[in-house]
Amino acid sequence: MKILLAEDTRDLNRAETAVLTMQGYAVDSAYDGEEALDLIEKNGYDAIILDIMMPKMDGMTVLKELRSRNIVTPVLMLTAKSEIDDRVEGLDSGADDYLTKPFAMKELIARVKAMTRRRTAYSTTELKCGDIVLNAESQELTSENTVRLSVRELELMQTLILNRDKELSTEYLIEHVWADEKDLPEDAESQKDIVWLYINYLKSKLAYINSRVDIMGERGGAFQIYLRAESS
Amino acid sequence: MAESIYGDNLPQMQDVMKRLEDRISEIREELKKKYGSDPVEHCLSRIKSEESMREKCRRKGLPETEESALGVLTDAIGLRIVCAFVEDVYTIRDYLAAMPDCTVVQEKDYIRHAKPNGYRSYHMILRVDDAYFAEIQLRTISMDTWAALEHHLKYKKNPAANTDLLVRELKRCADELAATDMSMQTLRNMIYRDELPE
Repeated sequence: MKILLAEDTRDLNRAETAVLTMQGYAVDSAYDGEEALDLIEKNGYDAIILDIMMPKMDGMTVLKELRSRNIVTPVLMLTAKSEIDDRVEGLDSGADDYLTKPFAMKELIARVKAMTRRRTAYSTTELKCGDIVLNAESQELTSENTVRLSVRELELMQTLILNRDKELSTEYLIEHVWADEKDLPEDAESQKDIVWLYINYLKSKLAYINSRVDIMGERGGAFQIYLRAESS
Repeated sequence: MAESIYGDNLPQMQDVMKRLEDRISEIREELKKKYGSDPVEHCLSRIKSEESMREKCRRKGLPETEESALGVLTDAIGLRIVCAFVEDVYTIRDYLAAMPDCTVVQEKDYIRHAKPNGYRSYHMILRVDDAYFAEIQLRTISMDTWAALEHHLKYKKNPAANTDLLVRELKRCADELAATDMSMQTLRNMIYRDELPE
């Protein structure tokens, strides 16, 4: 997952970059607002961290600028403790969250995680997990071979990958993956059938591309992806 | 008429081909009884024509002899078995591999390991009666569709049409068909296990 960190204080920028990198994020650093905007335009990010006080272009302007260009990447604002108006203005202008300085690194990580969890399913174009790559744009699931996924299969696979460390209940999947389904039957048994069918689609396709990734769980229960010990 | 590149082996080759065809019919009958449906959509067989066998020898730098045609090259006798579902391919494969008068000389699983252009099929080379080679291609209807259509496009005269874009798009089509194959397979399995709602 790729993050842009815009922070003009060099030491702080370095420390935050190190901490986020340790968490497995790929971090690009910017030291002023213009550089940040340049990078955002050039690269796709899964999250952006913006310090408000920055030379050349302040964080608020960067935020407004990118929202005006329909860039919906989640943004975490870094504000000084006294600047209540900044926080309100930031959130009103499309920031997803804020953090007041000074903050603990632990909290920065927690907030970035929470924010990316909310958005990744829609903003990430490529997800990797074990020996598979899931490309949201081309709707392709690739390991040794490639297969194309339907929109619903893609969303289900994304949700499973992004939550690989926990089991997801059938109810959770219905709420998150089938949220926009208008014709979704309301009774629980039918919903279990639907989720189970799509889990089976994905399991077959994973095996078909010769991947070691598989999904565990039974009809109506909770599901989680895992890596099989050996490819069959 | 000039002497055949196959020497006087043609009658025996016809016989081997016929036996393989009959065997496949038996397998189909057996599986139909067992599962209630025929796993094979259709089956084609041919003996490679004199002309294309000679052409292939030349292309491979081999002398145009009986030894080249029957001892070096392995596709003088060819069968293509087109199956309904992906798993049927492997079922038929197992039956063929178990035939007592045949040994499996080589197998290539281009289904599990699709070719870079998207081609999918299961290839087997059998040696029948310790004498004749036969090449078997097993694939699903979807894979057969793709191979047939790709063949149509590949042999168009316009060389400009053979762009990276075309290659990429053909691969995309192959992958989409593969996805459909797997969806249909999943549906069949779930129906079979009675896991789909009424």
